[in-house]
Amino acid sequence: MRKGGRVFITGYGIITSIGKNAEENLQSLVNQRHGYGDIDILNTAHSHDLRCCEIKITDEDLRALARAEGNGLTRTSLLGLVALREAVQHAQLTKEELNRSGLLSSTTTGGIREFERDFFNILDLDRRGEFEQFADTAIPGDHSERLAGQVGIHNYVATLSTACSSAANAIMQGAALIRSGRLDCAVCGGSEALSKFTINGFNALMILDNEHCRPFDASRRGLNLGEGAAYLVLESEARVERLKKKPLAILAGTGNANDAYHLTASSPEGTGALKAMRLALSHARIDARDIGYVNAHGTATENNDLSEGTGLKRLFAGELPPFSSTKPYTGHTLAAAGSIEAVYSILALQHGMVWPSLNFMSPIPELEIHPATSLIRNVSIRHVLSNSFGFGGNTSSLLLSAV
Amino acid sequence: MPQTLEELKQELKQELIKQLNLEEVLPPDFNENTPLFGEGLGLDSIDSLELVVLMDRNYGIKLKDPKEGRQIFQSIRTMAEYIHANRPQA
Amino acid sequence: MQGKPLIYINGTASISPQRTFDGSFLSEPINYTGNVLTCQTPDFKAYLPAIQLRRLGRMLRVGLTASIICLRNSAITTPDGIITATGYGFLEDTERFLREIIERNESQLTPTHFMQGTYNALAGLVGLSLHCTGYNNTYVSKGYALGSALDDAIIQIQDEPELNMLVGAYDEAVSVQYKSVARDGHFKQEQIDSLKLFEHPTPGSLQGEGAAFFLLSGVQTSQTICRLTGHYGLFQPTADELFNELESFLSAHETTISDLDLWIAGLSGDVNRDQTLRSLADGALSSIPQGRFKHLTGEYCTADGFALWLGANIIKKQSVPASIMASSLKAPNKLRKVLIVNHYLDRNYTFYLLERPRA
Repeated sequence: MRKGGRVFITGYGIITSIGKNAEENLQSLVNQRHGYGDIDILNTAHSHDLRCCEIKITDEDLRALARAEGNGLTRTSLLGLVALREAVQHAQLTKEELNRSGLLSSTTTGGIREFERDFFNILDLDRRGEFEQFADTAIPGDHSERLAGQVGIHNYVATLSTACSSAANAIMQGAALIRSGRLDCAVCGGSEALSKFTINGFNALMILDNEHCRPFDASRRGLNLGEGAAYLVLESEARVERLKKKPLAILAGTGNANDAYHLTASSPEGTGALKAMRLALSHARIDARDIGYVNAHGTATENNDLSEGTGLKRLFAGELPPFSSTKPYTGHTLAAAGSIEAVYSILALQHGMVWPSLNFMSPIPELEIHPATSLIRNVSIRHVLSNSFGFGGNTSSLLLSAV
Repeated sequence: MPQTLEELKQELKQELIKQLNLEEVLPPDFNENTPLFGEGLGLDSIDSLELVVLMDRNYGIKLKDPKEGRQIFQSIRTMAEYIHANRPQA
Repeated sequence: MQGKPLIYINGTASISPQRTFDGSFLSEPINYTGNVLTCQTPDFKAYLPAIQLRRLGRMLRVGLTASIICLRNSAITTPDGIITATGYGFLEDTERFLREIIERNESQLTPTHFMQGTYNALAGLVGLSLHCTGYNNTYVSKGYALGSALDDAIIQIQDEPELNMLVGAYDEAVSVQYKSVARDGHFKQEQIDSLKLFEHPTPGSLQGEGAAFFLLSGVQTSQTICRLTGHYGLFQPTADELFNELESFLSAHETTISDLDLWIAGLSGDVNRDQTLRSLADGALSSIPQGRFKHLTGEYCTADGFALWLGANIIKKQSVPASIMASSLKAPNKLRKVLIVNHYLDRNYTFYLLERPRA
C-alpha cells in the first residue's frame, strides 16, 4: 500500500525532432509529421545509411533557445534546458518555488557526444583549449547539476540512468518523494542527444532498421534512434489545493519491475512488461478495462514488440484498448522516451485523441494485434498507460489519468 | 596455398577462444561438432553478435540478418564449412 | 519521523583497496604509492560461474561478487528490489568502445563493451543472476548517488516494512576517469604514500574505487547489523550551513552531538576542498572521537558506501579499527551512535546516522 496523497501534473515541456515545444509536438502528432531523415548535424559515417530522428537545431541555436549561460553545457544539457524551461513556465513556478523544488533528470549518454568528439584532446593532458569545458561532462550526473543551476532548483537533485526506462523511473521517484513528504514539487524527466556512441552501439547489437521503423508490424526490423527531452512538473495534492492550481493530469499509478531474462533482450512471455503494467494498475486501483489508450514502448525491434505485445494481450485478456507507438514520429529517444511519451499520453488525455502508429501494415502473426493506424479524435479517455522498457531488463509503466 | 578446411577449423577454434574468453570454459571433450549454443558450450545471443563481427573482420563475410547466424554458428565445423564456401577469394 | 518504520541494515559487503571481504576488518592496512588505489579482490570463481565470469569486465565482477557476499551475510536469497548507485559507471568499457569506433571508423564493432558500459549494467546483471523480477533502478547523481538510491529504498520500506531492498554503490579507478578530471585538480600532483594522506595538506586527493552493498529492511532479524536512523544530503553548503543542517538532522532523530560515540569524516586529503568539513571537525565535532577512511580507499563519487559499510560494522563488532582513528580521543567501549559526514569535491555532503539496534 503506497502512502501519501495524490500526485498531480501541473506543467510539461518537450523538445523532439517533431517540435521544439508542446504545441509544435501536438500539431505534428495530429498531422502525422515525423522527424525521420538523414543525420545532418552530428558528424558520423552513418549519416545516410542509418537515418535517425535528429533535431535540426545546432548546439549554438539550442543555447539561444534555452537561454543558456556559461560553459560546459553539452547538447544533452541544452535539450534538457529547453524542455525544462518550458515545463517550469507552464506550471508557473516562481523563483522561490523552484528553489524549494527537486529535479530528477535522466540520460544514458550524458555528454558522450562531446567526449567522443574531443576524445584525443581530452585524454592528452598536455593539450589545452575550448574542449576542456567538456572534459568531465560525459557522465549523466553532470547534466542534472547544470540544469538545476540554470533554473534555480536547489532543494533536491538526483540523476537516474536505467537505459530506455530512465525518464519513467525519474517521474516515478519524483512522485515517491512527494508522497513521502520530502518534496512538494518535483520536476522529472530526461534528455538524450544523438551520438556516434549510441548509433554504433545499437548497430553492433543489430537492432537498428535502416528504413523508417514499423512498430508491431510483421516485417519490423528494428528501431530508429532519435534525440529529445521532456519534463513533467509534479506537485502534491495539498499544494495544488492550497495554491488553487489547475492540474493537467493525475499521475495515478506507477510500476517498476525487472524482466530478468537477458541484459539486452526481453522475455518472449513479456514477464517484466506485464508485471510493471499490473503494478501501475493496482497502484492506481484501476481495472485494465478502464484504460482508454496505451502508449506502447513499441521500438519496432523483433524482440520488444513481440514481448510487449504478449504482455499487452495477457494484461487485457485479448481485448486491447487502442494502442500505438509514437516512436516512428520521434525515433527512440532512449532515456528521454519515458517523459516524452508521458507528455504525449497527457496530450491524448487533454485532447481526447489517440495517436496513430505509423508504418503498420500487417500484424505480428503470433499475436494478431492491431495498433491504431489513423488519428482517432473525440474519444473520451480517462486513463492512459505509458510503457518504457530498457536494457538491463528494466520495465516501467506509468498510468496517467484525466482530472 | 589457400587454407585447408582442417587448418581453418583449428584457426577458428583459437579465434573463438580468444574473442569470447573461453579458455577456462571449454569442456575437455570439446570438438568441432560440440554445439556452441544452448546445450554444449552455452553461448548466448551476444556471443552470436560477436561471431558475426568475427566473420566480417577475419573472413570478409557480412551477415545482414542475425538470424542467419543460427544455422552457421551451430559448431566449429558448420562455421568452417560456411566460411570455406563463402569467403571472398583473395 | 514519528510513526515511520525503522530501517535496518541486515547485510553488508565491501570490496575495496583494503581486504574488506575477508573479515579482517582493516587490521593490516595496505599502502599504495602510485596515487591510485584499486581493489583487493577475492577469488571470483568462488562466487560466479565461469561461463558468466568470462565476459565480465573487472568492476562488474567486483560489483556482482559484492552483491552475492551481501546477500549471503543477510541470509536472503532473493531481494524484493535492487538499486545501484554510481558516479562514473563502467568508464573503461565505454572508453574501449569509443576507441574501437574511432579506430575502425564506425564499422565492424562488437557490442560487449557498449553493453557493459551502461550505467545500469550491474543492476541488470544482479537482477538476472538472482532471477529477481522485482523493483530495479540505478542512480548516477555523482556524489549523492548512494544517497538518492537510499532515498528510494527507504521510501519503499516505509510503505512496506517487510521488503528486503538490496542497495549497492560502486565506482572504478581507471585512467580515462583520471584524465577527464585531472585538469580540474581532483588528484594530487606529487606522489605520496596513501596511508600518509593526511600528512600532506596539499591540493587534490587520491583516485580510489570500490563496491559496497547493503541489504535494507524494516524488519530486525538475527542478521541485523545496525539501524540506519537517517541520512541527508546537502549541496555546496557554507560552513555555517553545514553546522546548522547537522544540528537539525540530529535533532530530527532525537540526537545531539554529545550523544555521538564516534564520527567518521569523509575528509579527502585535498587541503582546499576539505576546508568546510574541517571547520566542522575542528569546531562542533572536535570533542567527538573521529575516524577517517579515504587514506584507505582513495576518493570517488560513492566513497560514502565504504563509510556506511565501515560505520555499520563498527556498531556490529563494537570495535573501531585502529587504522581509521584520526584524533587522540579514544572511542568509548560501548558504541551506540555513529555519525558519518562525507563530502565529494566540496559539493555533495551527506550525513548518515547509525545506531545500535535494540536487543
